[in-house]
Amino acid sequence: MAEVTMTVNGERRTAHVAPETTLLRMLRDELQLTGSKLGCDVGDCGACTVMVDGKSVNSCLMLAVQADGREVLTIEGLATKEQLHPLQQLFEEKGSLQCGFCGPGVLMSAKALLDENPDPTEPEIRDALAGNLCRCTGYTKMIEAIQAVAQLRHERPAAKSVA
Amino acid sequence: MVEKKPAVIEKEAQKDALELLRAPAPAPLVPLPIEVLVPEARQQTPAVRQRATRSDARTHGLGQTKYIDDMYLPGMLFAKIKRAGVASARIVSVDTKEAEAMPGVVAVITGRDIPCNTFGPSLKDQPVLADERVFHAGDGVAAVAAVTEQIATEALEKIHVEYEPIEPVLDPLASLKLETPGLHAPSPNIYGHKVIKKGDVAKAFAESYRVFEGSFRTQMVEHVPLEPHSSLATWDPNGRVTIYSTLGRITLGRADISRTLGVPMSRVRIIATIVGGNFGGKNEITTEPVVALLSKKTGRPVKCTFTRPEEFMSSTTRHPLIMDYKTGVTKEGRILGRQIRLVLDGGAYCSWSETTLGKACILSAGPYKIDNLYAEAFVVYTNKTMTGAMRGFGAPQVCFAYESQMDDMAKALGIDPLEMRLMNALEEGSLSPTSQKLHSVVVKESLLQAAERFGWKNGNGSANGSANGSRT
Repeated sequence: MAEVTMTVNGERRTAHVAPETTLLRMLRDELQLTGSKLGCDVGDCGACTVMVDGKSVNSCLMLAVQADGREVLTIEGLATKEQLHPLQQLFEEKGSLQCGFCGPGVLMSAKALLDENPDPTEPEIRDALAGNLCRCTGYTKMIEAIQAVAQLRHERPAAKSVA
Repeated sequence: MVEKKPAVIEKEAQKDALELLRAPAPAPLVPLPIEVLVPEARQQTPAVRQRATRSDARTHGLGQTKYIDDMYLPGMLFAKIKRAGVASARIVSVDTKEAEAMPGVVAVITGRDIPCNTFGPSLKDQPVLADERVFHAGDGVAAVAAVTEQIATEALEKIHVEYEPIEPVLDPLASLKLETPGLHAPSPNIYGHKVIKKGDVAKAFAESYRVFEGSFRTQMVEHVPLEPHSSLATWDPNGRVTIYSTLGRITLGRADISRTLGVPMSRVRIIATIVGGNFGGKNEITTEPVVALLSKKTGRPVKCTFTRPEEFMSSTTRHPLIMDYKTGVTKEGRILGRQIRLVLDGGAYCSWSETTLGKACILSAGPYKIDNLYAEAFVVYTNKTMTGAMRGFGAPQVCFAYESQMDDMAKALGIDPLEMRLMNALEEGSLSPTSQKLHSVVVKESLLQAAERFGWKNGNGSANGSANGSRT
């Protein structure tokens, strides 16, 4: 068993896991953070996307021990008690999610994109979501929501601080 | 002796307390002016043009929606199913001893442990786990419950199955022949047949300017729901089983679960959870009886979630169709008669084939006025992944065939494909192939509007194909 300690959504968390445990398994099975989903377990579908040190990763392809000492952000860390993240707000308003299974991964990819590129073009958004598969709604409304968040930040730069 | 009634001792204070406990009298019923909206044909309901958000949109976005794989019950075990990996074989023996001896493995079952090993939405031709015979590579042959998913997966490799291969039937056209040995002998492989007859096709062909023949095929398609099939079972001390399931049709599933477990339906409780994508692929039971039996054997809750390869191999798929079309037309492009033969590749088990067969056959003539029609459809068994319900029950496949042939005919006759469709399209009050009078028919209006939107007349597509490739 390996001891893994990491900062998850701003909190220091430790777990003892078998060395072959993936970051996704640790988050779900040990830390009860089930927002990140297991869709394919081989890095194709993106339902497990989380952010590690500010970069989006497929948590099913990363070993838990590789995330030792690092900072992990999952879907559960996106909203505060007071308010939704603008991406969550706009995804809700635009009806971007249907069954919702791909949602957490898509939102994390979108967050990683906007952190790096606050004003993405449509092709850039499509590119950022290329690793996230959705079988229900298609991607149009997700792209609209992400564009609306970028627009919102232009109008109200203060919105940036909560994101 | 006359029994003396005991005096009622009722103090004032007690009386008040009882009054307080009594529920307030319900408000008198007031008839509400409830407007019953029964829209007339072509009338828009008030919902059109209204904005709405999904009631579950927020929990989805927060990652708080609980799908079955997100549920963990105390003491829960994880189940995995051993897949045959061979298309057609007789099972000689299944040796589970080595797997059972593994630390962390709590129980193993095989097809022979299923109380009643047949089920299905229409024909009861599917085993929960194969016992005597393997019908397709995705068949389960044994299942393991272990303390972790990893141990369960490892244990599958320790199960040794001896097979005696049987020549598989893979081509649906070969399967259609009566001399081909039946998969589910003694019946032949054709397990569904439908004919729709209208007018006189032979006469129509004789009167036609030209008769076009074409053969069209579609492939097998998997639903690929992002959430794999999953179920979780737990028994209570009174012998009732609760199953959390991704099933889309829980009442039907309940009957099949009760049948396969040999338990009365009143002892089966199914909780339908939020489903992470169905598309028709979650309309019948898969792992439910397996987790229920493993849970009964171990006395602990058991969960089983399909891996992505299992999702492709062991859940239903869309029927591949072989569609032969023969259509007679006038010089102007009006369809006089059409003869169709559909062969549906049903895979190893019936599943929703009968529904698919019926709908494909009814819709195979297309949205066109055809007075002389002969449509015949067959569904046959093959040693492949079973085919079932998927988005349209056969409608998308036949649409590919009749629209492709329409384009071929328009091109050969030198007619604008749009004109040819408008000439033949159904109208208000037209009769369907099964002589149903149709209402709210807007085929022509829709075609014209669509053509205008993407600029059909301005060169965005023509009878000879698109100049700039934007014909869609």
